[in-house]
Amino acid sequence: MQRLLPSLLCLLVPSILLGQSQFGVRGLGYPGREVSTRALASGGAFALFDPESSVNPASLGGVKNLTAVFTIQHNSTTQENPEGTASLKDTRFPQVMVVGPVRQTGANMGVSYSNYFSRDFSVATVNNVDIRGVPVVTTDSFSSQGGLSDLRLAASFTRHNRWVFGGGFHVLTGSNRLQSRLVFGDSTYSSSRQRSEVSYAGIGLSLGLIRQFGPQFALGLMARSDGHLNVDRDSLRVSQIDLPYSFALGLHWVASRKLDVASHAIYRTWSAANSDVLAQGGVGAENTLELAAGAELTTSIKSPYLWPLRLGGRYAQLPFPLTPGIQPHEVGVSGGSGMRFAQQRGGVDLTLEYVWRSEGAYSEHGLVGTIGISVRP
Amino acid sequence: MNFRPLAAALLIGLSGCQDEFTSPGGCPALCPGGVPQVFEEVLTPITGSDSSFRGYVQPNTAAALLVSNGLTDGQEQVAILLFPPRSDSVLVRDTLRSYVIDSVAFSLGVLARDTNLTGVELDLYRLPAGIDTTTTFSSVDTSFSPQNLVVGIPVPDSLNSGIVRAVLQGPDLAKLVIPPADTGVLALGVRLNAPVVTGVRLLATGASAPTFLTYATLDVPDTGTAKLRSFPLTTSFSSFVPPIQQADDSTLLNVGGEPSARALMRFDFPARLRDSVSIVRATLELTPVVPIEGLPTDPLHLQARAVVADLGAKSPVNATPAADTIEAGTTGTTAIEVIRLVQLWTATTSGPTALVLSVAPEQESASFSRPVFYSTRAADPAVRPRLRLNYTLKFPFENP
Repeated sequence: MQRLLPSLLCLLVPSILLGQSQFGVRGLGYPGREVSTRALASGGAFALFDPESSVNPASLGGVKNLTAVFTIQHNSTTQENPEGTASLKDTRFPQVMVVGPVRQTGANMGVSYSNYFSRDFSVATVNNVDIRGVPVVTTDSFSSQGGLSDLRLAASFTRHNRWVFGGGFHVLTGSNRLQSRLVFGDSTYSSSRQRSEVSYAGIGLSLGLIRQFGPQFALGLMARSDGHLNVDRDSLRVSQIDLPYSFALGLHWVASRKLDVASHAIYRTWSAANSDVLAQGGVGAENTLELAAGAELTTSIKSPYLWPLRLGGRYAQLPFPLTPGIQPHEVGVSGGSGMRFAQQRGGVDLTLEYVWRSEGAYSEHGLVGTIGISVRP
Repeated sequence: MNFRPLAAALLIGLSGCQDEFTSPGGCPALCPGGVPQVFEEVLTPITGSDSSFRGYVQPNTAAALLVSNGLTDGQEQVAILLFPPRSDSVLVRDTLRSYVIDSVAFSLGVLARDTNLTGVELDLYRLPAGIDTTTTFSSVDTSFSPQNLVVGIPVPDSLNSGIVRAVLQGPDLAKLVIPPADTGVLALGVRLNAPVVTGVRLLATGASAPTFLTYATLDVPDTGTAKLRSFPLTTSFSSFVPPIQQADDSTLLNVGGEPSARALMRFDFPARLRDSVSIVRATLELTPVVPIEGLPTDPLHLQARAVVADLGAKSPVNATPAADTIEAGTTGTTAIEVIRLVQLWTATTSGPTALVLSVAPEQESASFSRPVFYSTRAADPAVRPRLRLNYTLKFPFENP
């Protein structure tokens, strides 16, 4: 199998070249998911119970050994809007985590880096402008690179093997490098390029709980407050944006020895940011609901970590609309698998997700491929 | 644990990291901050602060000599050439020996002419040997008579630019006998002979400068052999003189001419344009008082430079000019794109906001085009110099 793995990856990776979203143009951008590769494969449904995800700090209780996780994600999308169609690709590293148990305490601790929002985009418009009485073709491009990251320090404590409590401290930080460029079709005009850098800083807290009801059923809860975000442009404080409260409820059912089923719902009060976004010239912000359901089918009882089959689906509203009054949303179906090797000290998980996003005349669809690499030294 | 599969996975994954993310933008939905608007504003120089200064390049130091045929209003040009002394003996085997002149050749470098014309000839005349910077047209005019004609050098109809040459020998050499009083110095005048009113620009310096070449035979008696020698001489002084030195009108902006003139224009550049906009086009517009003269196929190269320190006529200027060419006969507004110069203004907070207008260095005091433009003193505001600016305001980046 070790010899076969590189060959399999060669086959898989070219088909998982991924992309970014036009729905990341407004507001803080396109929201990240803070979910591990294996949880992504089941639509994120296991995220509240998955120790390699950063959604619920109580999920750290599932870690038995020191574990490091690294994730690579590639997006390949086709976008459509009233101005045309474009095929886009991008690569990012949305989830890095190190977590492990604290000996003889029943506690686990971990630190993770997750993508909170990404705002990587470049939009170009071609116009015909009348200058000095002569029509001049101009190309206006606006681009942004960067986003917001969520650096989480979290701990969990397990009590009587039925209760797992967790808490997390989140540092939200990041920046956007913005550039507006105006190029003229007439060479007597000089192009205009203006740059700006917007940086963000904020802190948040999260609390989580997992209650095990017997060997087959578990309930996960999470509440999180992200406070507010300070926004500096070119080192000057320009605004403050209220960030949402998040509430999540998850269910995990071990249906049989081979089949696990889970689902969750996450509600985020993004309307808290609405007035702040409007004050800065944005379109606004709206509350979001995310629903996910998925399953994991173990193919071998003897080796449950070898090539399980994961499937799931997801529906999520996006917080920052492109046009007032219509809230964008996305739907995704996903599948994946993974394996552990070297006495389960190394692991590779693979996920493919097909997503559809839309808001009125704006839509996109594409493939999101994720590779997660985990090491348990 | 064998990490080779992981390394291979990483390598393959990272090798696919080629981002392509330019979307077709649809405003206003996908245009956070909006679309940049282009604005226009016209600045005129500070009234009365624009002036011409003359005397930068003298005709005797110019890169070219002007000769013309039929120009009126005192603008006819003749070239005057002075060659250094030609020795009457040569040192051979420690002995000064006399020589016999076999022939003499003259060559002139044609820099530019009206290439549509045929039958153009450059006529060389003997001039008194004492020509210098004080020589005027009237002092040499009488020498341009048939009895002083040395040779006429036809300019081939196919020649646009290059060397023209004439050789004199036999009886013609009598025209070039240099009297002892002249101490071997030969002075020549060049006049253009053409069927119509026109002019020619001759190279004054470099390898194609006017050359006086003497071929001679030395008789060396003790060897019984004859030795051939040539004595090439290039001008020690060359210039050109018109019948009347043109007087400048101080209410106008003169550029070029002899000695060359340059125009200085000072602008009151608003602080808001310096600080808060991005200039995308800047055009200096000038209105000529009369149609710009010159040779039809020899355009004038007009240049504008930014003043680095405003010291009036002696203001240092930036190295890289904004330039444009002007064809003879131009009557309408002359425009020079000066965006790079105006961007220099916006790059500093305290530098002068002034421009110097001149002709290109290789044409200073060396062109038949002598443009004269209206200044800020013109009664009609429409003909005054102006700087037409197009700019965008600072982009209102959304936060976010």
